[in-house]
Order: sequence, then structure tokens, then C-alpha cells
Amino acid sequence: MTKIHVDALVVGGGIAGMQTALDLGDQGYQVALVEKEPSVGGKMITLSKVFPTLDCCSCITTPKMSAVAHHPKIQLFTYCEVDRVDGQDGEFTVSVVQKPRYVNADICTGCRLCEYECPITVPSMFDRGLGSYHAVRVPFSTAVPQIAVLDIEYCLLCGKCEKVCPVGAVDFTQTPETFEIDTTSIVLATGFEMTDVSAKKEYGAGRLSNVIDPLMMERFLAPTGPYGRVLRPGDGMEPTTIAYVQCAGSRDETLGIEYCSRTCCMYAIKQSMLISGALPLAEVTIFYMDIRTFGKGYEQFYQNAKAMGVEFVRGKVASIQEDENHYPIVRVELTEEGRVVERTFDLVVLSLGMVLGDPLARFGLQPAEDGFASLPSVNASPWATTRPGVFVAGTAGGPMDIVDSIVTASAAASAASAYIRSKTQVSIEEGEVAYV
Amino acid sequence: MTIRLDPTFLRELQEYGEGGFSECFNCGNCTAICPYTSDDYPFPRNMIRLVQIGGREKVRGSIDPWLCYYCGDCSETCPRGAEPGEIMMSLRRWLTAQYDWTGLARKFYTSEVWEIGSMVVLGLLVILTAVFFHAPIVTDRVELNTFAPVEFIHTADWIMAGFLVFFITTNVLRMHKFIMRDGVNERIPLKLYLTEAWHLVVHFATQKRWAQCEEGKAKRNWSWIAHMLLVSGYVLMLVIIIFFLKWFQVDEIYPIWHPQRWLGYYATIVLVFGAARAIIGRIRKTLQMHRFSHPSDWIFPVLLLVVTLTGIFQHTFRYLGLPLATYYTYVVHLAFVAPMLILEVPFGKWSHLYYRPLAVYFERIRARAKEVALVGQPAAAD
Repeated sequence: MTKIHVDALVVGGGIAGMQTALDLGDQGYQVALVEKEPSVGGKMITLSKVFPTLDCCSCITTPKMSAVAHHPKIQLFTYCEVDRVDGQDGEFTVSVVQKPRYVNADICTGCRLCEYECPITVPSMFDRGLGSYHAVRVPFSTAVPQIAVLDIEYCLLCGKCEKVCPVGAVDFTQTPETFEIDTTSIVLATGFEMTDVSAKKEYGAGRLSNVIDPLMMERFLAPTGPYGRVLRPGDGMEPTTIAYVQCAGSRDETLGIEYCSRTCCMYAIKQSMLISGALPLAEVTIFYMDIRTFGKGYEQFYQNAKAMGVEFVRGKVASIQEDENHYPIVRVELTEEGRVVERTFDLVVLSLGMVLGDPLARFGLQPAEDGFASLPSVNASPWATTRPGVFVAGTAGGPMDIVDSIVTASAAASAASAYIRSKTQVSIEEGEVAYV
Repeated sequence: MTIRLDPTFLRELQEYGEGGFSECFNCGNCTAICPYTSDDYPFPRNMIRLVQIGGREKVRGSIDPWLCYYCGDCSETCPRGAEPGEIMMSLRRWLTAQYDWTGLARKFYTSEVWEIGSMVVLGLLVILTAVFFHAPIVTDRVELNTFAPVEFIHTADWIMAGFLVFFITTNVLRMHKFIMRDGVNERIPLKLYLTEAWHLVVHFATQKRWAQCEEGKAKRNWSWIAHMLLVSGYVLMLVIIIFFLKWFQVDEIYPIWHPQRWLGYYATIVLVFGAARAIIGRIRKTLQMHRFSHPSDWIFPVLLLVVTLTGIFQHTFRYLGLPLATYYTYVVHLAFVAPMLILEVPFGKWSHLYYRPLAVYFERIRARAKEVALVGQPAAAD
């Protein structure tokens, strides 16, 4: 079994993980970055624009993706999952499983000939199931690394890709391989998932075709999106009335999620603005309980959306049903007027909340009450977990937006750096290992 | 319209149930999910808001709590776990205490010692009366009418009925004053009280609005049907003992097809079924409406079940020809019936049997008055 020695292991190649890896690498530490997907980029690479500046997401993410791939101090392990963490106090042994790509990563050139030849199309998870891609493919156009991956679940084993590959990289005989990483510190940047929409039966439990989640809307609005425009998925109609249901997966005891997910107000406002650009005739209504726009420039962003004509209605949507043509009908009390209305829209976006993405147990951590990593001194050192030497960056520690993810990522890198230095300096005093 | 605010109101209401008045952040989910909410009565959030700001007088004059049948949708979906359904239930208890001018209802709802104590005292009085003033005891055969002559019992029934009519009428008049007069500006034509009276009768007999709560639900829970059966048995028994006791309490045993027997059996079966269903439901807590049980919610079905069971025993002993057992169970039966009718009907949870249909009736009159006013306006302008 191969064994790798590093100063820091960063788990998760989203925006937070990449930022941590780059910060540590730039300081001269040897870093291993482990990502479970075939490409780094995380959720952010799928988004359209960032609030509150409306900068392009790809323009921020892709340089960092390239940087982690080409950094001399960073070793990138994509399509790998951490299985177990042994050891403690600066001497961790992490067992990692390399999932089979069925493509030899060392020789694949990313020419995509296999992809063009593959007869199978499958729903694209990069596009939240809205578009499609082939069973063997480079994950997406700006994927890093540009190496194909074969989805064996859908593959017919027809062998066309194997025949067409100019370097003979397709290899159906690959199996999962385990390797170990010895590291002084670990930074968890495992990210978030959206609240499970099927838990809320009043909102159709995910069965209504024109009720979508915000990451789908991001794909509609992104220049690289599946249709290149905003269409409702039920019948491909261009929507002219769009509703946002705020707190659809947060601040709701019935879902067991009592916290505020912090990002939903802002992404709904951002999307409403982008929709105004993409569909100038569309009318956007945001149903909210409270609007929470707490960051730098955020309140102004909200006021701009109001000024642009986005309708804000105070009231928690109680139920969503659909009519015979699958138009979603929203039932809500207009709490500022004290009456209940039912309004029909072309498309409804559920502003779902954020929950922890990957379970923490394999890192030897107990989740906090909210399910995210437990941060014992959240005010003094919000990067520290209950396990010395294990730090947290981004949304693994709690719901937050991109700005905060990057801030906590750099903070975690800084804390990890100090920790590594303290461990290796002790070693120097004891005359065992010198830190180079 | 101005609202006088009363900061003590919220604390006072907490004695009447477990609803989380302070939990609510007024999102409006409950009102929007409620199958009964309307533009005129957008409950339950409006009620919770009024409680939060201390609008005691506004709540006292509200019909809204009586228009809720506690299907529990609001409590099930409330994002704050504030239990709006239980809040409405607490408000109905509080309103009952407000309508009652004697203050007994308030005592009963806020102190189980008072409620149970009063019933025990009254029950003992009945037993003592039986012990000291009973007629001759015939022991070689069952002669209930010699032991407790039906004329005497019937007279007592009539006195009791008079007592009930007095207290219920005065409390209902107060209810009417709070809802239809205090702070109400629109004039309500007297004629409407007569023309809409059939609503009172229909809703008393059927509680048909309740059925609407279950409409369109994937899982019907049959509460409405079960409740209607219970009411039918209860009212049947009340009519029999107040108006037809001479026909009902006889020593002669009628054949099985005689209406005296099967009417009695019907009432008994539905009363046992209804009371047992409520008790089992409150133990299991499967329905939203059964999750929280105020002491008054237990006393109600338990008393009903005990009354029915003692009635069954007494009936059985009579048919088995056991004179003493019949007489004893008869006294025990009366010792439970008397507090149930004298205390629970005007001052306890039973009072909802007239408050609720009356509230629906008042709502109807108000709505009609509004229509009349709208139609009448152009004429007035001429």
C-alpha cells in the first residue's frame, strides 16, 4: 500500500477546501486535497453569480481549481473518499479509498472522444438532473482534472469508448484502492447539502414538476446551464410568474431544522435579480417570514431588488398544490393584511436550507445539535473542532455563504499552520525531526 | 378601533392549556393551512397575536375559537411548535370561564381540586339523600319505583332542568353581549335572530361544519361521525330523563322490540363507544387533538363512561332480579349523573354543546347582517 506524508490533509475540494489548501501550500506546507467527486469545484462551480456583487462564479472558482491542481505543494486526489482517521495529536493516519474511474487517470488526455462515442445518456447531476451527459465523460467543461470518468451503473459495457480512446486509457478492470496519508493536521471542508425537499409534504414532497430547488435555478441562470435559458422543467414553458418560498427548509421544527440557513434570503434576492435580467417580463414574488440581509452590502442589495420591482410578501407559505396543468398554487396568509390567498404561479422555487453534507463520524467527531460539526469555542476559535489537530472550514461547521466560507477557510488554514508549526517545533527540541 | 392592552392576559391564559403563545413568530402558516379560515375570521394567528399583545377584550368578543374543531393541521405544521390548535383549545376554555358570571367555570378550569371536589361533594349529597330519604326497600323482588319513586326523581329532574336553564341562559346572554354587542358597531336587525334560528338547530344536531375539516384529507379520522353519534346518544338520554322518565324508569320489563329498550340500548352503545374512544385516544395521543389533555379533558369522558357503565350495571342487576344490587348501583349512578349534569353542563367542558352551535349561529347572523347592510345602503341614500 502506498503511503503519503503531508503536513495538512484538506478534505473537500469546494471553495473552502481549495482556499485552505492554497493558503497552506503558499506557506510552504505539504498539502493533500481529497475530493469525493471526479472534479474539484464543489457547489460553487455550479452557481451562476455571487451576491452581493453579481460577479461571475466560474470566474472566481476556475482559477482556484487550476491553482490547486498545479500548485507544487498540493497533491490533489479526486474521486477519493476518506474512510477512517486513526491517531491523534498531530499524528494522524488517514485511510482513503480511490474510487474506480474505469479510466486510467495517468494517461487520459481529456480529449473526450470516448464521451462523443458513448451511446448512453444519463441525467446530469452537475445540472441537478435537468440536463444530461454520457455514461463516460469529462465531468463538465471546466472540470479539474480534465480526466474522463465512467459511470459503471449506467454503462452497457459496449466497449465503444475503449475502441475509440487514442491512448487506451479505458480500463474496465479497475477496483477501489485504499491508500494511507500520514498527516499532522486535518482540515474538514466537506460542505453542505440542501434540505431534503421530500420531508415537507405540504410543499409536494418533491413530486410537483414545476416546483424546483434553488440549485436548479442556479443552473438555469448559469451561462453553462442545460438549456441556456430559464424554462420550467414540467413542460419547457418560459415562466412569467415565479415565486420564491423562503424558509422552505429552515427555521422549521417540523423538519427538525430550527436554525436559519443564512444564505437563502440573499440567494433568492440574487436569483430574482438575475431572473429580471434573463426574463425581463417575468414577475418575481418572494414569500418570506423575515428578510435577513446581514453582510456587507447585503441590505443595499435587498433594497435594489425591491427597487427593481421584485415583490416581497410577508407570510410563510403553508402549502403548495398544483392545478390540472401543473401550475403550482401557493396558499399563504398575507400577514400584513390578515387574510389568506391562493396564488397560481408558473414556477415555484423552494428556498431550501443547508444541512451537513457528509457525515462526521469517520473523522471521529460528534455533530452538534444542528447536525454540523461541533465547535466547542465558536466565538474564540470558530475553526477548532473537539479533536485537536482537526479544523473545520466552510459549511461543514454551519450554514454560511461564499464570503464567509472563504473567510473561515483562510482562518482554518492559519490555525492549521500554527498547529503544524507547534508540533514540528516540539520535535526539533526533542531532536527527532527537523521541520524544513 | 382601539384595543386596550393587558400585559397580564398571556400569563392568565397559560393556566388554561399548554399552547405556546410566546413561541409564535407570526409567520401565518397556521392560518393558511387551516381549512376553516376566512377573510372575516382569519384564525388562529389573529388570536395568538391578540393574546401576545394583551388584547383581552378583543379575544373575549371573538367567535374564532369556536369555529375551530381542532383537526390539528396547524399544530402539525407549525414551524415553531407553538401548537396553535392547543392555543385555540385553551381559548375556548378561557372563553367558557369568561361567559360564566358565577366564576365556577374559571375555578373548574384552573383548579382540578375545585372541579373534582365540587363533584365529589354533590355526589355525596346525592348518596346521603338516598340513604336518609329513600322510600321502602323491597328485597324479594326488584321494585326500583318503590325504592326511588319515579315522581320524586322526575321532580328532581325538573328542578335540575330549571337550574340548568337559568345558568345556561344567563351565561349565553353574556356570551351574546361580548360577541354581538361590546365594541360592535354594525346594527344587527332583530329579525335575523329568528330567520337564522334554524342554523342553531342544524349545527347543534349535526356539527356539520366539523365535517368540512376532514374534507380532502388523505386520512379521515372519523372524529366528526364519532362525535355526532356521541351527541345523539347524549341528547337522547337527556330528553328521556327530563321529559319521559315515567316511561323509561318502570319496574315492568318490556319486550326487546319495545322502543323503550332499544332506544336505551342505542344511547348506551354510542355513549360507551364515544367516551371510550376519547379516553383511548387521549392515552395513545395519535390524533393531534388528543395530544394535550387538560384535566377537564379527562374528567369529561371519564365521567361519561362511569355514568354509562353504572347505568349498564343497574340495568343488568334489575334484569337478573337482584334488588339490593340494583338499588345501590342506582344511587351510585345518580351520584355521578347529578354532578355531570348540574356542574359540568353549565360550568365545565360540556358547555361547548351550546356555546359552539351558538357561535356558529352568531357568525351566521353577523354575515347576514353584513349582507343586509350592503344591500340596504343604496336605499338608505335615497
